[in-house]
Amino acid sequence: MTKLRLSRKSLCIPYAVFLLFFVIAPMLVIVFYAFTDKNNHISFMNFVNFFSDPTKLTTIVYSIVIALITTVVCLLIAFPVAYILARSKIKRKYIIVLLFVTPMWINFVLRINAIRELMSWMNLLGEANYFNTIFGMVYDFLPFMILPLYTQISKIDNSLYEACADLGGNAFTSFFRVTLPLSMPGILSGITMVFLPSMTNYVVSDMLGNSKVTIVGKFIETYFGTNWHMGSMIALILLIVVLLSSFLSGGFKQEENRRAV
Amino acid sequence: MKAKRTASLFLSLALLTPALLSLGGCASDKEITLRVYNWEEYIDEGGEGSYEYDYEINEDGSAPSILDDFEDWYEETYKKSVRVEYSTFGTNEDLYNQLKLGDKYDLVCPSEYMIMKLAAERMIQPLDTNKLTTYNENVSDYIAEVFENTYAVGEEPLSKYAAGYMWGVTGLVYNPEQVDKETLTKDGWGIMLDSAYKNKVTTKDNVRDSYFVGLGILYRDELLALDKNADDYTKKVTEIMNRTDEKSVEGVTKILKDMKSNIFGFETDTGKSDMVKGTISMNFAWSGDAVYAMDEAEKQDVSLNFFVPEECANLFFDGWVMPKDDKRDEDTEHAALAFINFMSKPENAVRNSYYIGYTSVIAGDEMFEYACDIYSAEDEENAVPYDVSYFFGEDAIIYADEEQLSRQLSAQYPLFETVKRCAVMNYYGDEEEAINELWTQVKGESLSAWAIVVICVAVAAIILFIVFTKFGSKIEFRLKPKKDYKLVKQEKLK
Repeated sequence: MTKLRLSRKSLCIPYAVFLLFFVIAPMLVIVFYAFTDKNNHISFMNFVNFFSDPTKLTTIVYSIVIALITTVVCLLIAFPVAYILARSKIKRKYIIVLLFVTPMWINFVLRINAIRELMSWMNLLGEANYFNTIFGMVYDFLPFMILPLYTQISKIDNSLYEACADLGGNAFTSFFRVTLPLSMPGILSGITMVFLPSMTNYVVSDMLGNSKVTIVGKFIETYFGTNWHMGSMIALILLIVVLLSSFLSGGFKQEENRRAV
Repeated sequence: MKAKRTASLFLSLALLTPALLSLGGCASDKEITLRVYNWEEYIDEGGEGSYEYDYEINEDGSAPSILDDFEDWYEETYKKSVRVEYSTFGTNEDLYNQLKLGDKYDLVCPSEYMIMKLAAERMIQPLDTNKLTTYNENVSDYIAEVFENTYAVGEEPLSKYAAGYMWGVTGLVYNPEQVDKETLTKDGWGIMLDSAYKNKVTTKDNVRDSYFVGLGILYRDELLALDKNADDYTKKVTEIMNRTDEKSVEGVTKILKDMKSNIFGFETDTGKSDMVKGTISMNFAWSGDAVYAMDEAEKQDVSLNFFVPEECANLFFDGWVMPKDDKRDEDTEHAALAFINFMSKPENAVRNSYYIGYTSVIAGDEMFEYACDIYSAEDEENAVPYDVSYFFGEDAIIYADEEQLSRQLSAQYPLFETVKRCAVMNYYGDEEEAINELWTQVKGESLSAWAIVVICVAVAAIILFIVFTKFGSKIEFRLKPKKDYKLVKQEKLK
């Protein structure tokens, strides 16, 4: 057997190639399509059209609001669950964690179909399209919120709570001074994993909102059938919205991390 | 060590096998590869769902795919081996994009408007119609006429570019227990706006079908005023249903927006099951899907009916066309035309039609027998004559149960008086973008100005809050060192 000589740097090559072909190149293609017209001439018309059309703007605002509500509801449900799972002394906690995670192993469309049946049975289908959509999204993305929170909270050293108690902190202060700041990285990664997908997951809005609820992802899908240039422009704008929101929370994150050390 | 060696032996064998196989393949005559691109589940793929119609069944009881049969038949007839490379698409737009991206196919099966679009953009080549002998022989006169009278591009008829495959009309599937037939006849497509059926109707989640319904509602009076017995009745209906002027687009936008707030929803494939379950009581349907929905409902003892509104309906069809490809040789072209001919043999048309559920464009005796087989009344005394001679030729009358007049038969083979009011909807051409934009306006969310302001303020507040926390934390949370104490930098503490 000959020994292959690999320097540490050459280990990066596959990743660099991957990034180049599957992240950077597609991104450039999207930018290219967004700023060209049918005849592949450079054009800013897509940009102008998007921002001069109230329907498109309203739809993006709707998507943001739907995604925000989904994220907040997910957080409100996931935090207590993760906290209880991580800090309580119940035996075989991993089974409960598993129960929350197992749905992720079942096909997503199947699960949404099941919810659709349930809603139809409760006579909600067609009556409360926005509620149904948000419900479906929360159901779908909850595990993505619970998992990072659970790992983060279980990492918190118990002595910190003891110290907090020693210094006269009550339950309230120990939550706000210990648990919350230290679980911040988990909260943030949870938010990133829930917020963006819920702006684009149009299968949920189509199935549970009977296609009467339109989110920005659906627009991108429809436009990619007929007009790639507009579709790319909307995708690009969505990307900027997401980058902006993670930039805002990213600055937040560094601060929190420093304080958590 | 030994185990490792054996494993590596197996591995190399496994790696070599495909290479060896392909070597074997090279030894025989040059094989023709026929690349066919078709709709999903739009051909007899064999298995258990096939119709036992005068052809061999595999040893295990399953039926062979019609593609395998084609390969065998071709080798037998022309002494050349052909391999069908079959792939499928989900929408006409997918197909178009795939072709635009440079994928090469020898035969594709788009719908009528996409054939027109492909022809207009010179992406398909004319078919050598003289060689389509079996097709020409068996295609229904009615369909042949439609293909002759519909223009693909300019003055060139559709028949120059395409050979028909399946066809149908659009209509409404409804539950007669929940929907009043009289209201339905009175309202036509307008029933989608009827508040008595709020949240009880669905329509298709695509721009063309919805635009058609919108036009039907908008020009209903004009359509009904036409003389149904005039020779150019169909032509006039077609003219009205292909209007794309500004006034029509505006009118349809308004109608569709009203419709959106009244209907249960837009669907792509949930409509059929929702009908059977009774979630909705009416559903816009393509005739093939309508037949399927009625069949499924019957299994659960629900009876559904099919209705084609009095004013008009859409006549649609899918056809085989040949995309341009400079590298295609004569052999492949020959195989492609043979493929169309093979699918046009009545016995094969029956197989496909049975498997898919749509109506084949092929007439032929076997096809008529098959239709009679399914729809003839068991009780001959009460049977009513159902005239399908426009499609199958003279004296083609099916004696069917009376209820079939509003059920599967009426969807599978609509009466002549029904198809007379069916219009082919052309490719929108230059207006395509405007009509797609209409769809965006209908589907998108709309808000009053004050609501936008409220939301903007809320979003701004959230951003401000985050920014404030970010910078504010420096001031708020860090305690100043007490007198005589020095603030030690965190790095030093580590």
